[in-house]
Amino acid sequence: MTLFAAEAIHKRFGARVVLENISLGFERDRVHGIMGPNGAGKTTCFNVLTGRHAPDRGRITFDGRDITGLAPQRIARLGIARSFQIMNLFDDTLVIENVLLALPAFRGRRTSVLGKVFEDAGLTDAALAVLDLVGLADRAWEKAAALPYGDRRALEIAVALAAEPRILFLDEPTSGLGAEATQGLARLLDRLRQRYTIVIIEHDMRFLFGLADRISVIHWGQVIAEGTPAELMADKWVKRSALGEVA
Amino acid sequence: MTMLEVQGLEKVYRKGWLDRTPTFRLAADFTIEAPAIVGMMGPNGSGKTTLFELITGSNRPSAGRVTVQGQDIHKVRTDERDRLAIHYHQSYQVRHFRSLVPNLLLRKAASDYPMVHLFDEPQFNTQDGYIGFMLAFFRRLRAEGRLVFLCVHPNERFHLEILQEICEQFIFVHKGTVTELPDYPTLLAHPPARAYLGGLVERAPSSE
Repeated sequence: MTLFAAEAIHKRFGARVVLENISLGFERDRVHGIMGPNGAGKTTCFNVLTGRHAPDRGRITFDGRDITGLAPQRIARLGIARSFQIMNLFDDTLVIENVLLALPAFRGRRTSVLGKVFEDAGLTDAALAVLDLVGLADRAWEKAAALPYGDRRALEIAVALAAEPRILFLDEPTSGLGAEATQGLARLLDRLRQRYTIVIIEHDMRFLFGLADRISVIHWGQVIAEGTPAELMADKWVKRSALGEVA
Repeated sequence: MTMLEVQGLEKVYRKGWLDRTPTFRLAADFTIEAPAIVGMMGPNGSGKTTLFELITGSNRPSAGRVTVQGQDIHKVRTDERDRLAIHYHQSYQVRHFRSLVPNLLLRKAASDYPMVHLFDEPQFNTQDGYIGFMLAFFRRLRAEGRLVFLCVHPNERFHLEILQEICEQFIFVHKGTVTELPDYPTLLAHPPARAYLGGLVERAPSSE
């Protein structure tokens, strides 16, 4: 069943056409991949889907509700979370604090004094549970800055998950990661796929083809191809490319 | 309805406002009745991009008409011309239209999703797999009743393979002259095209 849908989205910045008649649908509890060459419009597509930019034309629905043009905070509150290509963490605070700050239960509290939070075992437990999901529970009390790059990405995903989203958008999660960290991330996302609907923009085709249930290829601001990894791989030119070696 | 009519189309570039000596003249006259994938080729500076611009209405002709699905594109509002025809650059898309006539006096586009798609030298790279996806896109547009132009500057053997595989007819542009060629063998037999493709064809096993 389609949880999130974009219909005939158009977006331009001045004379530059970035998205042209893009339609996408993301099924519940599936991993959906979005790939495309540089400048094809992938990040703008994410920004429009998650409400950072309003589309010029077109409609976006989440769980049957029209969310076109809603403010990013309102969209986030509906259960749509995203991570960014560039890390967004509070380096000087503890790993667990990064997650605590994103918990709805924390944000709902009257006091924002972080020191008091640790007296609230319920909140701490909730944050630890999220960290456990991404395999970082045992590093909860370290400074975020101390984490290796791959773990920082996992923490970033934990921050997104802390908001209790129903759909998680990840913008180039492998960017800056080495081969080993990329594999670790793939294993993490493979565990999360049972609980979340995940949408990943990705450059690393090997990573994406190993993980996604369905992939949309964006070029010239349009969806030029779409299918399961196996369907996309069946093309003779794709087989001839480096991508053909992935299968 | 005829997809595309290019009638007595002419674009003349001159030295300047005072010295009216023509520096370049492009002339085109052709009609494409039905949906198709048309390969376009020609040496650099032969007028391919100018022809694309004239068809999409971003460059004003000196004479003649371009009719897309029955509408003269140069009489359509500038902000709606891309609902009739789109010019795709290598990876990004910039659309800039100018008209001496204000939009208020121009017509609305009759279509919402363009009927004519012109791809200007898409970057084909055998490594990344995108060729397959791009060709699938061209085929899908064609199957949905659109007219696709694919402008390629072949400098590798596989570029010719792509053209041979996907294009049903060809247009060769040479020194401002536009020649229609109904299929791949005719393209190879056309002397300016043959000279242009040169070594690529000589080495091609499929042309023997």
